[in-house]
Amino acid sequence: MNQRIRRFAVVLIVLYVILFAQLNFIQVGKKSTLDADARNTRQTVRDFNDARGDIRTSDGVVMATSIRNMADSEFDWQRTYPEGDLYSATTGYFTFGYGATQIEKVQNDVLAGRTIEQQIKGFRSLFNGQDTTGTVETTIDSDIQQAAKDALGNREGSVVVIEPATGAVKAMWSWPTYDTNLVAVQDSKLAGDILNYLDDIPGKPLLANAYQERYMPGSTFKVITTAAALDDGLITKESTWAEENEFLPPQTVDPIQNYGNKVCGGDLPEVFRRSCNTPFARTAIELGPEKMVAAAKRFGIGETIPFDLPRATSSQFGDVDYFTQNLPLLGIGGFGQGNTQMVPLHMAMVAASIAHGGVMMKPYVIGATYDHDGGVLQRTVPTVWKTPMTPATSSLLTELMVGVVNEGTAKCCMRLANGIQAAAKTGTAQLNAAGEPERSHAWIIAFAPAEAPQYAVVVMLKGTTAEISEGTGGTLAGPVAKKVLDVALAQ
Amino acid sequence: MTAATNMIAARRRSTEFRLVLMAGLITAGAYTLASLGQNSVIPPRILPFLAALLLVLMSAHIGVRWLAHGADSTLLPVATLLNGIGYVMIARLSERLAGLQTTWTFVGVAAFIGVLFVIQRVNDLARYKWTFFFMSAGLLLLPMLPGIGFSSGGARIWVSVGPINFQPGEFAKIALALFFAGYLADNRELIAAGTWKVGRFYLPEPRHLLPLLAAWGFSVVVMVGQKDLGSSLLFFTLFIVMVWVATEKTSFLVIGLGLFVAGATAAYFMFDHVQTRVAIWLDPWSRYQGKGYQVAQAMYALGSGGVSGTGLGLGDPTRIPEAKNDFIFAAIGEELGLFGATAILIAFLLMIGAGLRTAMRTTRPFEKLLAVGLTTILGIQAFIIIGGVIRVVPLTGITLPFVSYGGSSLVSNYVLLALLIRVSDSSARRLGEIPDAATFGERFAARLAQRRIKKHPEELEALS
Repeated sequence: MNQRIRRFAVVLIVLYVILFAQLNFIQVGKKSTLDADARNTRQTVRDFNDARGDIRTSDGVVMATSIRNMADSEFDWQRTYPEGDLYSATTGYFTFGYGATQIEKVQNDVLAGRTIEQQIKGFRSLFNGQDTTGTVETTIDSDIQQAAKDALGNREGSVVVIEPATGAVKAMWSWPTYDTNLVAVQDSKLAGDILNYLDDIPGKPLLANAYQERYMPGSTFKVITTAAALDDGLITKESTWAEENEFLPPQTVDPIQNYGNKVCGGDLPEVFRRSCNTPFARTAIELGPEKMVAAAKRFGIGETIPFDLPRATSSQFGDVDYFTQNLPLLGIGGFGQGNTQMVPLHMAMVAASIAHGGVMMKPYVIGATYDHDGGVLQRTVPTVWKTPMTPATSSLLTELMVGVVNEGTAKCCMRLANGIQAAAKTGTAQLNAAGEPERSHAWIIAFAPAEAPQYAVVVMLKGTTAEISEGTGGTLAGPVAKKVLDVALAQ
Repeated sequence: MTAATNMIAARRRSTEFRLVLMAGLITAGAYTLASLGQNSVIPPRILPFLAALLLVLMSAHIGVRWLAHGADSTLLPVATLLNGIGYVMIARLSERLAGLQTTWTFVGVAAFIGVLFVIQRVNDLARYKWTFFFMSAGLLLLPMLPGIGFSSGGARIWVSVGPINFQPGEFAKIALALFFAGYLADNRELIAAGTWKVGRFYLPEPRHLLPLLAAWGFSVVVMVGQKDLGSSLLFFTLFIVMVWVATEKTSFLVIGLGLFVAGATAAYFMFDHVQTRVAIWLDPWSRYQGKGYQVAQAMYALGSGGVSGTGLGLGDPTRIPEAKNDFIFAAIGEELGLFGATAILIAFLLMIGAGLRTAMRTTRPFEKLLAVGLTTILGIQAFIIIGGVIRVVPLTGITLPFVSYGGSSLVSNYVLLALLIRVSDSSARRLGEIPDAATFGERFAARLAQRRIKKHPEELEALS
């Protein structure tokens, strides 16, 4: 019988080798196919079901948190955003099957407690069952953010408030936006449908237009042209321009006109506060393509803004070759028209650099990250990004912008509470060609207090309605900037 | 000589002791890791767990040391390792079931020691072959009795007596192996000889074949009456392997395979659920929303495990229906990966090896056939369910020995293990590796006889 037993042993070994071969086939050979199967939700469920730390404002308001679900739920945790849409452009979303955006994406490891520091430090928690998820503290101030949302109302556009000395973003509001809770749902299909819908509707609510889109800046760009010409020595505070309603640049028969075809001229403070176009067109062309493009580069135009949230975009001006062949466009670009496009956040940084002695800081919204014990994992150290102008130029520009508030295009609307002096520059970007109905973006960049700036702000209202298109930067964006600065400075 | 021969046994026992400790260490480590992975805490009940683990392992080991000193040293450690890993997976899937499985493990080890204690001369069991025949028949038919039998998960294999539910089929398979071993040991030559001439062929006389055919009939009854394909396949394989090994006639293997093919084909065309099983085996995804879901989820689980696994407590095995039971292998494959799943395969191969080695060492036909039968049950049952989970064969619900959740399964497998260890010990005695001392029962009988001789010396004289 032993011979049969031996043969039987061989048969069993063969059977088990077949099992082993099939295991290899499934766990190694077919692994990627199985993982990629749409019906296989293991990885996404695992991610979605992880405990996850909070995202907070700098004043301790919870922007995103995870709450325990009822025992009978498929998932242990539910991600919620207590303030609805208020912070969605900063926190981003965290979905079941559709990934994450913004802070939920870039700080995923911290929030889920997966950084190496957290895992080492969390070792002790093995014994007491404490959760090891981290917290992200943003630089956003809940009061300023709420003021920005309220002041903008249901008009399309964005408001960004920056601390000039650090680059910390204190408020960043874009409209239209969306309620993050709508997509952080347990039903993956529903989340996908809502995301597709949000992606398709006009206004692109999923895009934070404050830093992910760029718009024609209009006259707010004149601060850049002025800074370039002052630093070059081409103009001084005493320079004067003749009163004129239009200017015929070289290479064309089509003259450049002032806003509303008004007669406009005078010394630098006057043309700046009245926002004449022709002096800045002349200045840009006199400086020439090379110096204007170099100045734009010094302001970081053309580079992706080094923001700590993903998918920030870049502002655009143009290159030397292009302007050499199109000098009239250089003139128009000198006052922020034509092909010039600025990201709202970038314009806030321009204002902040004037407020900060000519130094532009890297903008950031993630102030610090903490482990579960409250120990600091990482704290953002403010760093200089660009030095676009000399301190002398920045103080002269401040003076010019104070003039805009006190006697110029922002006179109507920028008198801050408690007599605090603001400095500002307005912009009304003409989008329509001659003969078409009026369509314009309304801009303002400002900072306050002018003598010791604490906050720089940009307000941009998209020219999507008649109300906005008929107004100016001063009358429309000015009141929004005032409300926001009033709230910020009242603290 | 006694000292030298005792040393072989002593070395076996100390090897077993170290291996059992290692199995305990792996179990305790896995238990801790699973809790860390799942809840990021050292398990709160780690101390009672370690105490229970040590108690189980040491009582089983001391049981073997005391009652089967010469037995093989790998069977018990490998079984406890499988039991331990299964327990960790069950505890990770459901705390409530873990508590029950703890109880079953204690009962199983008690049954293990009990069998070793009660059955000290395994060859004596051959005398009770007809008892085992009727026992296995009764146990198999029990679930079909109205009133106490009931269905669960499509198969009518459960019996409920008072508060206790159990699957008699798990014990029937052992009784059947005992019957086959006893019957074939007595009649194998007659069956093999073939004295009944039918045309050109010599066949065994019908009266010698009848009991075997009756036993084979059980597997058909089980399949048809209880829809328990896995057990049916297992009984049938057991039947063929034992007849083949006993008679050494390849013709039985051929006839058996022919019967199997005929039976399987008939079953395929007669029963919807068999067709469904085959369809799922070939393509679980086309029935993803229905009965293919479980197999598809097992595939995802295994894929997600990959080579090294997600780590204990870090996978998602709760997505597989019945992960604690028939599909526990997929859960292991997910969290321990190809490495862990292969370790389970190797563990079963080690038990098969030890079982068949035991069969080859013993010289008594009954012990030989019993060891082959018990090893077949263990090895083939594991193959059927693992193969079903990973789609080597169509899925037929059956437990993975020692690993799956379930009292009947665990206790019956410990009984099976005890019998195998008893056969192994018995061959060690016959090979002179340990002194063939009298058993408790024999010593008791001897004392009774002595007392009787003292009282009635004339009886002894009458005998001589």
